[in-house]
Amino acid sequence: MIVELSGHSLLVFVGIPVLVVAVLALLVFASSIADGPRYRPGLSWWAPPVWINGPTATKPDPANLPELPALNSAPGATATAGTGIARTIGGASASW
Amino acid sequence: MPAGDAFTPDQLYDIEKAVQHAEEVSGLHFSVYVGGADEETRPFAIELLNELDDPDSSVLVYVDPAGRRLEIVTGSQAKRQLSDVAAGLAALTMQTSFAAGDLTGGLVTGVQQLGTHAHQPPLLHASDELHKL
Repeated sequence: MIVELSGHSLLVFVGIPVLVVAVLALLVFASSIADGPRYRPGLSWWAPPVWINGPTATKPDPANLPELPALNSAPGATATAGTGIARTIGGASASW
Repeated sequence: MPAGDAFTPDQLYDIEKAVQHAEEVSGLHFSVYVGGADEETRPFAIELLNELDDPDSSVLVYVDPAGRRLEIVTGSQAKRQLSDVAAGLAALTMQTSFAAGDLTGGLVTGVQQLGTHAHQPPLLHASDELHKL
C-alpha cells in the first residue's frame, strides 16, 4: 500500500518527532555544554596551567632592594621569606 | 566557561575555599598547581614549592592531568605537622576522584583532608585557664 504524504502529514509525522528528539537531546547535553570540556583520564589535557594561592606577584626584586643596613639591624626578622629554599622535603606521590 | 580553562569560576571558588580553610585550620600555607611538567613531576613540584614565599611552612599539591601524576610536597616546618603517611592518605583520596575524572572534587576533598591532618590543637598546658582549675 502506498501512502501519499501531504505537507501537513509530513509536518505531523516527521517534523514533530524530530522536534521532540531535538529538545530532549538539548536537555540532556545542556549541562555538559554549559560546563565546557570535562577532564577525561587518559586523554590529552587542553588547559593552561593554573596556580591557586601561588607566590605573591609583589615578590621583592633583589635589584630594587633599598639598602642593606636594614638586614643588619634586624637579623632575625628576615629569615626565609620570599627567597627561601625548603631544606627537608616531605610529602607523597600518586598516579592514576 | 571560557574555552581552554581548566576550571569554571565556581570550581575555582570551591578549591580556593578549601585552600583557605586548610590554611586557617593548620596555620600552614597551601598551594595548588594544575598543569603539565617539563620534566619529572617530583623535581618540578619541589621547584614550585621553592618559588613560594615561605617554602618551609608550605604544602604544595601538584596535579599533572595529562601525565596522571599527583605530588604532595611539604616543606621542613610543614612536614612536622603533616606526616608523609597523612599526605599519602590524602593522595589516595585525590587519586580516586581523579581516576573518575573529578579534578575539582578530588582537590577540594584532598586539600581539606591535608588541612585536617595538619591541624594542631591548642596547647592546653600553656593556657592560664588551666591553672585556675
